[in-house]
Amino acid sequence: MPAQSRYCIRAPSHGAREPGRQPARDVQLPRVKGNGIIMASRLRLLFPVLLLSFALIACSASPGGGPVASPDASQPAYPLVLTDDAGRQVTLPARPQRIVSLAPSNTEIACVLDACDQVVGVTDFDDYPAGVASKQKVVIGAQVDVEKVVAADPDLILAAGNELTPSSVIRQLAGLGYPVLVLYPRDLHGVYADINLVGRALHAEEEAATVVAALTTREEIVAATVAGAERPRTLYEVAVYQGLIYTAGADSFLASLISTAGGAPVVGDALSTAIQLEALVTADPQLILLGDAAYDASITPASVASRSGWSGLTAVRDGRIVLVLDDLLITRPGPRIIDGLEALARAIHPELFS
Amino acid sequence: MIATRIGAAELAGAVGLEAGYPLPGGGRREVLHGVNLSLARGELVALLGTNGSGKTTLLRCFAGTLMPTAGEVRFDGRSVASWRRGALARRVAVLPQQLELPGGFRVAELVAMGRAPHARRLFGSTVEDQAAVERALTDADATELADRPVEELSGGERQRLLVAMALAQEPELLLLDEPTLHLDLSHQVALLGAIRRLRTQRGLTVLAVLHDLNLAASFAPRVAVLDAGRVVADGPPLEVLTPELVRRVFGVPVDEAHTATGRRHLALGEI
Amino acid sequence: MARAAVATRTYLAGPSLTRTGLVLGLGALLLVLALGAAVTLGSVGVGIGETAAILGHRLLGLPLTPTWTPAAETIIFELRLPRVLTSMLVGGGLAMAGTVFQALLRNPMADPYVIGTAAGASLGAILGILAPLLLPALAIGAGSAWLGLGAVQAAAFVGGLLTVLLVYRVARAGGRVPVVTLLLTGYAVSSVLAAGTALLMFSSGRALGAIFGWLMGSLAGASWPQLAFAAPLVLISFASLVVRWRVLNLLLLGDTQAMHMGIDVEREKRRLTMLATLATSAAVAISGTIGFVGLVVPHLLRLATGPDHRLLLPASVLYGAALLTLADLGARLAGGIPVGIVTALLGAPFFIWLLRRSGSMAAVP
Repeated sequence: MPAQSRYCIRAPSHGAREPGRQPARDVQLPRVKGNGIIMASRLRLLFPVLLLSFALIACSASPGGGPVASPDASQPAYPLVLTDDAGRQVTLPARPQRIVSLAPSNTEIACVLDACDQVVGVTDFDDYPAGVASKQKVVIGAQVDVEKVVAADPDLILAAGNELTPSSVIRQLAGLGYPVLVLYPRDLHGVYADINLVGRALHAEEEAATVVAALTTREEIVAATVAGAERPRTLYEVAVYQGLIYTAGADSFLASLISTAGGAPVVGDALSTAIQLEALVTADPQLILLGDAAYDASITPASVASRSGWSGLTAVRDGRIVLVLDDLLITRPGPRIIDGLEALARAIHPELFS
Repeated sequence: MIATRIGAAELAGAVGLEAGYPLPGGGRREVLHGVNLSLARGELVALLGTNGSGKTTLLRCFAGTLMPTAGEVRFDGRSVASWRRGALARRVAVLPQQLELPGGFRVAELVAMGRAPHARRLFGSTVEDQAAVERALTDADATELADRPVEELSGGERQRLLVAMALAQEPELLLLDEPTLHLDLSHQVALLGAIRRLRTQRGLTVLAVLHDLNLAASFAPRVAVLDAGRVVADGPPLEVLTPELVRRVFGVPVDEAHTATGRRHLALGEI
Repeated sequence: MARAAVATRTYLAGPSLTRTGLVLGLGALLLVLALGAAVTLGSVGVGIGETAAILGHRLLGLPLTPTWTPAAETIIFELRLPRVLTSMLVGGGLAMAGTVFQALLRNPMADPYVIGTAAGASLGAILGILAPLLLPALAIGAGSAWLGLGAVQAAAFVGGLLTVLLVYRVARAGGRVPVVTLLLTGYAVSSVLAAGTALLMFSSGRALGAIFGWLMGSLAGASWPQLAFAAPLVLISFASLVVRWRVLNLLLLGDTQAMHMGIDVEREKRRLTMLATLATSAAVAISGTIGFVGLVVPHLLRLATGPDHRLLLPASVLYGAALLTLADLGARLAGGIPVGIVTALLGAPFFIWLLRRSGSMAAVP
């Protein structure tokens, strides 16, 4: 099955880098849920094209993130008008009590803000925190079942950008009158902004600020720890399929994560996230992180070393091929992304993290 | 040599007609050259000529389905080109040389299609329509074929069906392109006899392309002969179909013979 | 003589009243059943009583005290009802267009898309899907709606119409459009557009899923505004086509003979093509390129009605509507797969069965 890059790549604009997340793939069946969420799916999708679709990303230059919330309990909070990551103006008439999440990352954001009990609809890929798996599934096999969403009677719907929730579905739900917030973070700051945005929506701004502060601190610790250390050229292998190597795209979320974690990412094409073997050999990574090993037990350092054309890479000669079993954390743009960052940093600089 | 009818009421006529077909690679092939042929009301005319002499082309010009390159064809005083298709079809019917019939229909249904130019009701048919179809089937000697599916018909039966279809249009002018093809002799005679009868009964004007000279001579009081797109003879068969003409146009030497009953016959020699 | 009179009367009154009544009556019944089943069933259970009450309340204005939840009302009235009506409209429209093209082109393999509608609409739709990715101002937030259509549907509609106009223009030679030329030109233009479509798909990136879904054909996005756009077009087309049954029958005899029998062949061909294309483009705009309905339903009906379009055309519409509604119900219950997959999975083997059964294509030379 073709691999998919998990990170949305966007052509740089205004000097700002806005990498985006892309749902990644699963070896059996690429199933993408929400931004950067790799879902291990048990279904067999018969159409490779659908798999390919998630590998190819083009970030549009839409403004990212919503306004950072400044907690202000004195003002009546509702009705509230927010701007979501797709630039849409969304009006919340009252504090949401029934939240439907169309992506696992959105569920995690809601839960980290202590709103887990208000979540009444999730996807079949949701797995964190523990209780969500038993909630009503409104997205099955990446298909949003609009009837089930309606039946859940939500007053807030958290959708995913980048066509992970198809824009036709977003239009349909918005047309039916439901407030739909599209969350589409393209880097760590986008994630923080999304947490703040949802915090504003739920009138939990203080909660959000606390969470963001904690995450920011951890990010800064990682950045400080790896500062000054030599940055190895790092290839994060998302998938290898049909001779094409899928990795972090240029200017993507994953690339920025690798940078923050102290590596120099070897990047693929901005649109397709693929890198040709010749280009890979030229880039000569010193470190190979096997993100696909989390889903395919047959991918091991030995199997990688035996690939034709790979034996000359520095990483292979030095034996610096690392299995990344926390790929899920690295590609789900929710609060646990920092766990993923830390996992990445540990993989890139094991000597700096005991 | 070309007799023109002066004074008789003309129903249809070609004047200075030139017509032809475009060629696939560009250019045109002109088939008819300066044809003048006038049909008075109630006339029965047989059109003879070799293959490629333009008989079908001439018929198509009379039917209005082929536009002349030069000259004109008139019907009932007006140029055929000025007639609306539906109006013309109520007055002129064509029996084509060949027609691929769509499967799944029965004979009566196809004959009923002939009523299309007269159709007045959106979805149904009138009593006149039904009567016309019944008459057409009877006159074409196709009554017992009415129920039969079209795929099952023999060549002769198909011919009778085509005649019935043309008759169902209740035309004033009937253009027949080789109506005797595929028919055995008895059917040929029966068909031509029926057409002569119908001409009297219904007041039809008939222009029939035939290939059998003797049959044409027995059938039609007037014969027109086409040679390489020109009318080279036009008149009563006895006057027109001389051995010299036949040899010149058809390239076959014939003798005149007379039967015991005094009918003239064009006889071939030993082949 | 009397027997002949009876026989001709039978065929002149049309396909016999009994056959007409049976075919149309059965079709209407099937349609009503399909309608009922499709509104009542779905991935969320809403009881029959509740469904009926909701419909009665919203459609007939019956003053019932709501015992149902607002969610149920939204599901029935805003999701299922427009979707079911759309499937009826699209199924009927495609079957009608398929019947017309099979007669017009004298080709049993003709379907509504054969002269380029699908290729043009697909290209338009893909451009519509990709445009917001390249020009963010057109993205979800902009929410443009043209006559109830989003950008994708509008582009598909225009694409389908323009392509057929192009094909017709290219196929015209000397004022006439021979049927074979029309077919081949349609094929050629469709191929070119398909290549363009494939190229766009190749570079489409994350939108590939959306594109693929559209190409397969789906009724998932059905809404009242879209229905309001497409319904008048399909209904006008239907009204104009159904009274032209004589023309369709006569065209089966060939262009020349049809002319001899009073049909202004070129004008009628143009008119029929445009009417059928209008209905097809409207259907494709709101539901994508759903296959097999337009091809199989006329053949299926011909077994029962014969080739006479007086009955065949209305019957095709009825059964096409019912069958697509049932197919969409199946698609919904099977997990929300695109209905085009269901029609392909069912239509293809069914078509093979039809072929073997009838020996050869009946009713078309």
